[in-house]
Amino acid sequence: MEVDLQAVRRVFEDVLNGRMLREQADRWAYTVVREEETGVVTYAPLGERERIWAGVMYLYGIDTKKAPDTYLHSDDDIREAMTAKLGGVGGDLARDDSAGSRAAVAMLVRT
Amino acid sequence: MTVDDFRSQIDAAASDAGRRLDATTERSALAAIVVPLRQIPPIDPDQRLSPERLHQIDRAFFGPFFREKYGTGGDKALENGRIRYYGPIQPANNAAELAGRRYVHEFDTMTGCTRGWHETLDRMGNVRQVRPERYDGTMRHYQFDSNGRYRGSW
Repeated sequence: MEVDLQAVRRVFEDVLNGRMLREQADRWAYTVVREEETGVVTYAPLGERERIWAGVMYLYGIDTKKAPDTYLHSDDDIREAMTAKLGGVGGDLARDDSAGSRAAVAMLVRT
Repeated sequence: MTVDDFRSQIDAAASDAGRRLDATTERSALAAIVVPLRQIPPIDPDQRLSPERLHQIDRAFFGPFFREKYGTGGDKALENGRIRYYGPIQPANNAAELAGRRYVHEFDTMTGCTRGWHETLDRMGNVRQVRPERYDGTMRHYQFDSNGRYRGSW
C-alpha cells in the first residue's frame, strides 16, 4: 500500500468540503494504521513520511464527538491542523493527479 | 469505575490495530535481528519488571517500532509490563472545557499484543472520554467526570 501526501491532503479537503464524512476519513486513516502495523505501507515521497504520518494520525479519530450529536473538532480546527501537519494549503495540488488520489482513497474507504 | 479501571478492562484482543506475535517468537526474533545500543544487565526471568527497567528496554528495543509512530507526546511504562505511547494532543478550540484528543497505543511486552484508543482531555489534563478501537467497527464514547468517575457511554 502506498500513501502519498496529496492523498492525505485530499482527505482533509474532502472532509472540509463535505465530500467525505468524518467517519469515512477516520476509517481510511485506520486502514493506513493497520497496514503500517504489518509494515506494508510505503510513503511518497519518502522524505515526507513524517508529515504524511502526522496527517494520518490526525485523521484517525477525526470523528471523535464531545456529545452524541456534536463533533469535538470544528472545521476551523481541521483546517488549522491540515496546514500545520501538511504544510501550505494546496501547494502541490495543481500538479497533482487528484482523480487518482481520490479514487485510491475511495477504494480504501469502501473496503 | 475510574478511567484506569476502564482501561484495564478493555480486552487486549479488542484492538485489531495491533500485531499479534507470540511472545517467545518475538523475543527470539528480536534477539536475532536487534543489536542493542547499550548493555542492559540481565535479571532473573521470574523477576517482575520495574517501570524503570521497562523504560530501559523500551529505549533499547521497542522505540523504533512504537515510540516514533505513536509516542511523540510521551510514553509511560506501567507496573504490569505494558508501555503506553501517547500521541500529540490534537487541539479543539471551541469545545468549552475539553482541550482536545490524543491517540494512545499500548504495547504489552509480555504477550506482544497491542491495543489503542482515543482519549479526550479537558483543559486540566484529565481524561474525560475514552473511545476504544473495537473489532466490530462500532464506535462508543465512554465518559468520565473531572474526578475520573465513570458517567456513562453513548
